Amino acid sequence: MSTVPEIHRFTSIRPPKVTFIGATAIAALGLIVGSWVFVLGADRVQSQPFFSVETLERGGRFLQALLGIGSSSTPAFAQWAAWQDTARLAYQTLAMSVLAIGIAALIALATFMFGASNIMRGELAPYRSWVWGSGFFVVRAFYTFTRAIPELVWAMLIIFMFAPGLLPGALALGIHNAGVLGKLSSEVVEGLDTRPLLALRSSGAGRFQVLAYGVLPQALPRFITYLFYRWELIIRTTIVVGFVAAGGLGLEFRLSMSYFHYTTVTLLLIWYLVLVVAVDLIAAVLRRMAR
Amino acid sequence: MKIRPLEGRRLLTIILVAAFAWSLFNVDWGSGLVNTGGLRAAGHIASSILRPDLSLDVLDKAIRASWTTVAYAVAGLTLALAIGFPLGVLGSGVLFRSSWLRRFNVAGTRLVLAFFRSIHELVWAWLFVVAFGLSPLAAVLALGIPYGGILGRIYSELLQDVPEAPLRALRSAGASEWRVFWFGRLPMALPDMLSYTFYRLECGIRSAAILSFVGLGGLGFQIRISLDDLAYGRVWTFLFFLIALVSLVDVWSSMVRRRITA
Repeated sequence: MSTVPEIHRFTSIRPPKVTFIGATAIAALGLIVGSWVFVLGADRVQSQPFFSVETLERGGRFLQALLGIGSSSTPAFAQWAAWQDTARLAYQTLAMSVLAIGIAALIALATFMFGASNIMRGELAPYRSWVWGSGFFVVRAFYTFTRAIPELVWAMLIIFMFAPGLLPGALALGIHNAGVLGKLSSEVVEGLDTRPLLALRSSGAGRFQVLAYGVLPQALPRFITYLFYRWELIIRTTIVVGFVAAGGLGLEFRLSMSYFHYTTVTLLLIWYLVLVVAVDLIAAVLRRMAR
Repeated sequence: MKIRPLEGRRLLTIILVAAFAWSLFNVDWGSGLVNTGGLRAAGHIASSILRPDLSLDVLDKAIRASWTTVAYAVAGLTLALAIGFPLGVLGSGVLFRSSWLRRFNVAGTRLVLAFFRSIHELVWAWLFVVAFGLSPLAAVLALGIPYGGILGRIYSELLQDVPEAPLRALRSAGASEWRVFWFGRLPMALPDMLSYTFYRLECGIRSAAILSFVGLGGLGFQIRISLDDLAYGRVWTFLFFLIALVSLVDVWSSMVRRRITA
């Protein structure tokens, strides 16, 4: 703009320039308005609209049922026996989350180097053949595929093959998170400082020695950070996968909801929160250890 | 050779390996790990990937379900913004000078945000569907609350990480704490905040797709029905739509992020 003389700024006719950000802002606004129109319109055709006294009363009744108000029996969260029964489920849920992050870590560790463009196609590539280079696209396609399908959908697919239990749930969580972890770690490798690696190479290290002694040690600390970050998310999702894969707290939650045992639902939610907080604390301690 | 004490990374390695081993012991490896005919079913599912059901009827359903999923995700994210922005600002504690008030306020807000996000969106969805009925607003609420908790936490951290020097200049020029926030802190943190929100949109699409598990429409609902019908070709059609949708939003959001944070 500054190069245009003052007088021409107003006289010359130019089409208004549409920037990418401008187009994004308009698209985002359109999406927001469209979505709310759709959601509110779909709500209007329901037999009972959301904003009504009936809905409010219904919500109130559910909250009372969760807290065990107005029921003659002792609520489940006030019974010691119920706590003992569900402790085993919480323990299983924790084991499932650890198994899941372990599976994800193993898959990601085995593949993440092959998903980095600088190793497969760039200056660090040990081979310059198109076979090696196309490996990059295979690995990245695998990550995109596993990442785009949510854990719960993976669980629905896997349960066709495996008997219900800890393993199918952990597999579903593991496959989805392998894609996430793999993509994040590949990007770490792509962002590495290549100068020490090239120095290693020029001082006589073999192609794969550079990967093992140069790339891996640089990338591992970040990998560990991501590992704990994903674990914190996995523990929140384990209960959800348990709905279909039948491991731990998830199945019990589903059954209690179907049998209207709402005070048990409250008890399971308490356990769930305990697990989430515990995992966050453990991850914080372990993360400090990695430094 | 000197034996080095167990500390730091070595200890961490041992702990991680031991934890994984412990989790393996919890799996019942005995009989019946694989369903009878499970391998055949898996083969059927896998081989159907090459034969997705592309009939007009299914495509029509897929497009409608995709729009429902996007609408839930976007509406949910707007609600998350409405929850996360004010709570994030409060939780960053930047509006208060008195340290006592500040600490009390920060701790309280952080606790609320942590509670919001520690419960998974599908669990929220189930609770809301039972409480309020099968309204699409239950889905929006279920997405908005945990995402609001996440956005609030990230926003408060971004607002705190802003460089102090320009803010001090504003303060010494006589600006109130409110003005310092509005004209100094917020504009500096805004690119990162927007960028993170866009990243969350991608996650929101995935989350919206599974909300249908509790009976709210969308891609996940169609996937579930098709699985119940053992119509694997149809399952893959819907899965491809989901993958395309997520990838599209992923590309869009990463393009936006590159431009606003650079």
